[in-house]
Amino acid sequence: MRMKKGRADLQALLFLLPFLAVYGLFTIWPMLKGVEMTFYKWTLIRKMSYIGWDNYREVLQDREVWEALWHSAIFVVFTTPTMIVLSITLALIANRKSVLQKFYRSIFFIPSVLSVAVASYLGLFVFQPYTGLVNSVLHLFGILPEGSELFWLTETALAWVAISVLTLWWTVGFNFILHLSAIQEIPEEIYEAARLDGANDRQMFWKITLPYLAPITRTITMLQIIASFKVFMQIYIITGGGPLDKTRPIIQLIYQTGFKKNDLGYAATMSYLLFVILLILSVLQYWLNNRKGADVR
Amino acid sequence: MKWFYRIFSIIMAILFAAPLVWMLVVSIKEEGMKIITVLDWFKPPYSFAVYDEILSGTKLTNWIVNSLLVAVLVTIFTVLFAALAGFALSKLPFRYRTLTFFLVLAGLLIPGEATIIPLYQVAKDMSLLNSYQGLIIPALASPVAVIVLKSFFDGIPNDLLESVQIDGGGTWRIFTRMMLPLTKPAMASMAILTFIGSWNNFLWPFLSITDDNLFTLPMGIPTLMSQYSEDYVKPMVINAISSIPIIILFVIFERQIVKGISMSGIKG
Repeated sequence: MRMKKGRADLQALLFLLPFLAVYGLFTIWPMLKGVEMTFYKWTLIRKMSYIGWDNYREVLQDREVWEALWHSAIFVVFTTPTMIVLSITLALIANRKSVLQKFYRSIFFIPSVLSVAVASYLGLFVFQPYTGLVNSVLHLFGILPEGSELFWLTETALAWVAISVLTLWWTVGFNFILHLSAIQEIPEEIYEAARLDGANDRQMFWKITLPYLAPITRTITMLQIIASFKVFMQIYIITGGGPLDKTRPIIQLIYQTGFKKNDLGYAATMSYLLFVILLILSVLQYWLNNRKGADVR
Repeated sequence: MKWFYRIFSIIMAILFAAPLVWMLVVSIKEEGMKIITVLDWFKPPYSFAVYDEILSGTKLTNWIVNSLLVAVLVTIFTVLFAALAGFALSKLPFRYRTLTFFLVLAGLLIPGEATIIPLYQVAKDMSLLNSYQGLIIPALASPVAVIVLKSFFDGIPNDLLESVQIDGGGTWRIFTRMMLPLTKPAMASMAILTFIGSWNNFLWPFLSITDDNLFTLPMGIPTLMSQYSEDYVKPMVINAISSIPIIILFVIFERQIVKGISMSGIKG
């Protein structure tokens, strides 16, 4: 489009203005503001005093911070591989021709549209000892002997299992659909040719399906790692970070430091530590995507 | 082998459906029942009494309306702003275009969670805490939506634009009469993803809202739940009432939702 230069600039600016205004005010500006906050003792009523690099020095030596980061990392390590396997499994199930095909597609996705609060409270009640759904079913089938109970929410290891299972159930839907649509794009002729060559189902899965799914799986894996690192709400509701803060993730610690301990400056400093970690992961994801840009389509 | 697949598939489906079925069944039980085995949940008597009690005695419907209102407004403006910006970045030549593009791209790397503390301070300075504006406005700039829509505009050949220009159409006309209709599917997909994102957004409402008339669902539910912890019926009614609108929306828009997610994966 040809126009006088000044007019063209003005016109583009008008198109960009609504987005840039909000983006500048609520993304860029807070990011810069946050840097300022990290150099102050900054409270909710904003009584502040300049303390230089103290927040940074403290955050690097704060055992609570590293523990919380570690918990977020544990959650990533628990959920990411299981998420990928589950997502591919469900996609294969929903891709098979069957009268239940439509039902499978809906039921695997529906939990994803639930509000995070609903999903978390369902998890909380499902994993309750004595009367919760899981323990009752285990009793019914005799897997859990009469009179003994699993305390899902108060034993650290079991609490992680409960949180992870709930999260997988609640969030696998999106990844399931990504995998399903990728499976559907694999040309049928390839399978036919393989079948003519005498390949069985298992060989076709390992030699055709899985390699074809590799690009989308790589994308999902990176997005999943980043998303899981930011876990907060379901843990907050299900265990409150307990027992003894053993499941408290970094976002919860940031929230508690800022708003319960009334130390926004220190909380902001923690969140920049999280930012750096997420930034490294995001850059890694970009690099992986672009290096093999062609096969992400 | 075929039977193994079938049985395995059905077991997975049951596992996925079980919590939801349980939620619905418990929600229509009477309060104070004795539960000895899991089967007791499924025995009559049934009653909708608690639904009435929750709907009339709490602010739950109020919060559902808030959630819907916020999600609808956030969706409309996010997609509109992203379409305008994406169009400019794709089709309008202007100085600093590359720079602007990189500025937006950088936004993809900034996690909202990491800037939430200073965002709180900024919103406070602007008196946006505890207001609908505060729930809505900070959510309207989505770099992802801009980048995705830009790439769809990129796919429309420039020759087409010039033909409209020769007919005497200005830039605004090109945008509304040609670009928007041609990218409708992409726009619908972004809208659906934005809606689900807003519906589930927890952290920002949690920090910025203290007035319970302005709560959205993810905040209202925990507040209610803390009052009813002994029995299962009320919590499950609360869960059921909160989920039914969004499940209905899912059933209506299933095809578009699935399409939208597939599209976001391609751009992921």
